[in-house]
Amino acid sequence: MKKLAEAIVRLRWPIVVVVLVLTIFFGFQIKDIRLNSDIISSLPDDDSISVLFKDVGKKYGGNTMGMIVLQSDSIFSKPVLEDIRQITDTLKIMQGVSTVTSLTNIIDIKGSEGGIEIGQLVDEYDLPDTKAKLDALKRKVFSKDMYKGTIVSKDGTSTLIMFTLQEGADQQVVAKAIKDKILALHLPEKLYFGGLPMIMNDIAGLMMTDLRYLLPITFLIIAFILLISFQSVRGVLLPLLSSGIAIVWVLGLMQLLGYELTLVSDNIPIILLAIGSAYTIHVVNQINECKERDRRKALIIALAYIITPVFLSGITTIFGFTSFIFGAYLTIIRDFGIFTSLGVLFALIMSVVFVPALISVFSIYRNPEKLKKIKTSENTLMGKFLLLPLSNITLKNPILISYFWIILIIMSIVGIFNIKTSVNMADYFRKNNPMRVSEDIMQKQFGGSQPVFVVFKGDMQSPGVLKTMIKTENFMKENPKIDNTQSVADLIEEMNDIMGEGKRIPDEKNKIEQLWFLLDGQDIMPQLVSDNLDEGVIQSRFASYDTEEMEDFVTSMNRFIKENNTKDCRIELTGIPSVYVKLNHSLINSQYRSLTIAIILVIFIVSVILRSFLKGIYAALPIIATIIILFGFMGFSGISLNVATVLVASVALGMGIDYSIHMITHLTYMLKETGDVDASIKNTMMVSGKAIIINVVSVAAGFIVLMFSHIAPIQDFGLLVALSMIFSGFGALTLLPVIWILAYRKKNIRAN
Amino acid sequence: MKNLKYSLFVTAFLLILGFNANAQDANAILKKMDEVMYSPKDMTGKMKIVLIDKTGKEKIREATMMQKGTDKRLFRFTSPASQSGIATLSLPNDVMYLYMPAFGKERRISTSVKSQKFAGTDFSYDDMEAKPYSEKYTPVFLKTEGDGYVLKLIPKSPKSQYSKLLIKVHKTAFYPIYMEYYDKGNSRIKVATYQFEKIGNYWNAKEIEMTDLKKNHKTKMIMSDVEYDTGLSDDDFTVRKLKQ
Repeated sequence: MKKLAEAIVRLRWPIVVVVLVLTIFFGFQIKDIRLNSDIISSLPDDDSISVLFKDVGKKYGGNTMGMIVLQSDSIFSKPVLEDIRQITDTLKIMQGVSTVTSLTNIIDIKGSEGGIEIGQLVDEYDLPDTKAKLDALKRKVFSKDMYKGTIVSKDGTSTLIMFTLQEGADQQVVAKAIKDKILALHLPEKLYFGGLPMIMNDIAGLMMTDLRYLLPITFLIIAFILLISFQSVRGVLLPLLSSGIAIVWVLGLMQLLGYELTLVSDNIPIILLAIGSAYTIHVVNQINECKERDRRKALIIALAYIITPVFLSGITTIFGFTSFIFGAYLTIIRDFGIFTSLGVLFALIMSVVFVPALISVFSIYRNPEKLKKIKTSENTLMGKFLLLPLSNITLKNPILISYFWIILIIMSIVGIFNIKTSVNMADYFRKNNPMRVSEDIMQKQFGGSQPVFVVFKGDMQSPGVLKTMIKTENFMKENPKIDNTQSVADLIEEMNDIMGEGKRIPDEKNKIEQLWFLLDGQDIMPQLVSDNLDEGVIQSRFASYDTEEMEDFVTSMNRFIKENNTKDCRIELTGIPSVYVKLNHSLINSQYRSLTIAIILVIFIVSVILRSFLKGIYAALPIIATIIILFGFMGFSGISLNVATVLVASVALGMGIDYSIHMITHLTYMLKETGDVDASIKNTMMVSGKAIIINVVSVAAGFIVLMFSHIAPIQDFGLLVALSMIFSGFGALTLLPVIWILAYRKKNIRAN
Repeated sequence: MKNLKYSLFVTAFLLILGFNANAQDANAILKKMDEVMYSPKDMTGKMKIVLIDKTGKEKIREATMMQKGTDKRLFRFTSPASQSGIATLSLPNDVMYLYMPAFGKERRISTSVKSQKFAGTDFSYDDMEAKPYSEKYTPVFLKTEGDGYVLKLIPKSPKSQYSKLLIKVHKTAFYPIYMEYYDKGNSRIKVATYQFEKIGNYWNAKEIEMTDLKKNHKTKMIMSDVEYDTGLSDDDFTVRKLKQ
């Protein structure tokens, strides 16, 4: 290690220049990085349900549908109708909008003697203006299933304006333009935007706000904590600089490799700022602590010692994040794992290579004269009031402390059984977010907004297939959370009715073929059948986000499908409920898998480097305890396991293990030096304990900032990581010494 | 027909006198176009409808067609086989009858929604309507472009789905060369291009290609075996005839 340290000092100039050049290079890449809030695209390509869902969404245009909910005291008044018309007309002429359907332009088909009349429900050029006319409209709307609960809410206070985006249009751009333009109309009614394109636009907006505000706040908070801890500008600048460079590198690399910032990976900067600064803190701290008067020598000595533990803690953190790569269902989480690992690696390199090189290039060593004045840890406030009492309690009452932890763990285990999982996208928004309100209205008044697709493969003009479709639809509607279904079979039934033969599927194929004449070229057809008529889809919506209700629906549907699947009519189910059920299972599975992988890897690495399997286990114990407490807390507080909080345990593991490693390295070293267990603990608490507390406080503070995020799961994520930092720090400072005492005092007694 | 010859003569005369094309009265041009398009008393022929989707895939339908005046029209489909025999009869006042041989009966379909597509094509009922353009639109002369005059047509009815049409009318034959349709946001949404040929005394639109620019979908209507003024009577446009 000494050779490496010397090499770093010798090559200080090339190192600084290379890092600067690369940083400028990556920095230039960042300006082109794009936000991608499309969660659908992050569904895995090797899972049949998600592939089918993506496929169907693309093929039948379901993913390009948006809606505006207009809410007022009553929809049936002339000024409100005028505003609906204004929105409809505005949307109709917008670039990127393909079709618009609203109360003021919806088609009305009336049966009449010997035929039908196609007209409009409302004459948009002569809106009803008298009470009688408005009441007549209201009666008509509520008398038809086609309108009630579809275009006007069951209570008559809200209406839907639905639109589809043109294929190939930049959805986020169009969605934003729609929102801007409609809001600019300054209508008196309450407007809410819904549908996937609008949700994605909103999430992108929230992500942007988060990045813009939270990152600088995290930066300032960490800077402030560093300033009071080190009381030097250098102690603030170097950690922030090294993590800042790591952030620039990783973002630049993402752009260079064609990745976009996602709902999960947009937190990488904040996470790196919190974690990355820790390595430099340890390096700078070690250099400061070194009493050697020749500061260049001091640098080399300090570096030679610190490289191992810093490298070790970095590697374990990286393993914590890489465990996502193997355990994740969503590609956004996998990518997050990859790039956070890379970011941590960069931060690690910066702290052990770039920071020492920089110090030596600019000779910004601390003035030796000042060294004398530096208080030893015992004389600081932290030492007097926190570290000293803590080490005293630990030494005197190890049993008490171990009981404390055991009780805490038992309580937490109870909590673990209450953990809920949630994969609901509406949960991404805070309670009062307009998007969440609109989802609620959609669910209560319009039969939900979560698409369900049943795909039929077979001859779409055969009576058998169409009859199976009708049977499936009837079965679906038995579920209270399915309000209406739509398929080409419904249209054929209606056309058959128009021909005067009743609302049913004709038994003769040639009749169906002729009825098709009326449907060909209708706007709705590409949303229901494939071009060559060998595939069709039932489109429906599910009106609940409850995991259990979704699970029940999917299970019963799959049973039905199994019973009705034939060679000539193959049926498959997909949609948000299916994907969520799958995601939900995978969430728990991937949690177990990635945690197990991470724990084994960490114990293995620590054992190898400390050359003791037992020490590997010791190091892991406070972390395992922290993770149990973390899950217990989630169970009791009602914070659910979701795409963001699923990351916490592995993050906590990767970061918390650092504390254990620093403690054990120091304990081992001191035990060898002094041969006394108590002395080794006291000394370790004073030196490593201080670094750990600074680190816990700065990292926790960094993550606490995430609680102000606009994306709800990220808020929970911030809180949970902060909590686990506190517990793992606390565990390393109390539980670990207790284990140490119990292990080595016994040995001492036996030896004596 | 006299009118047409007369107008041709007038045009030629004006040109000889050295009048600038800009001096052409937009109203006169549009009226002449209407005359070219709607002067035959009746017409029979075969029509091929080619629907072309965005990937270039074609669907072909064939029908025989009979038309009397501007408001009576009968289509009888002959292909594809599954839809052979289906017939539609359009009568004045937006009334249409549909006959399906598989059911053996006809249905009356009346529609007041003019923006609806006609039988799956890119033509709306509005576009298919054989009402003279000069009755529906107020023309403004824009410019001379190559072999034709470009006019801007403003719909007289506020209910029109279009804000304006830009049309190019042939300088001497007065048939339309193209028509561009603009929505109320002033974006071009559809383009129709015409190819005319002279059959007897009349100019016949042997091919019309309508492109929906939003959906990137095309419809071609190709006429053949056209005969004019064969003396069709109103009796040829009845429900009884439809079912034959």
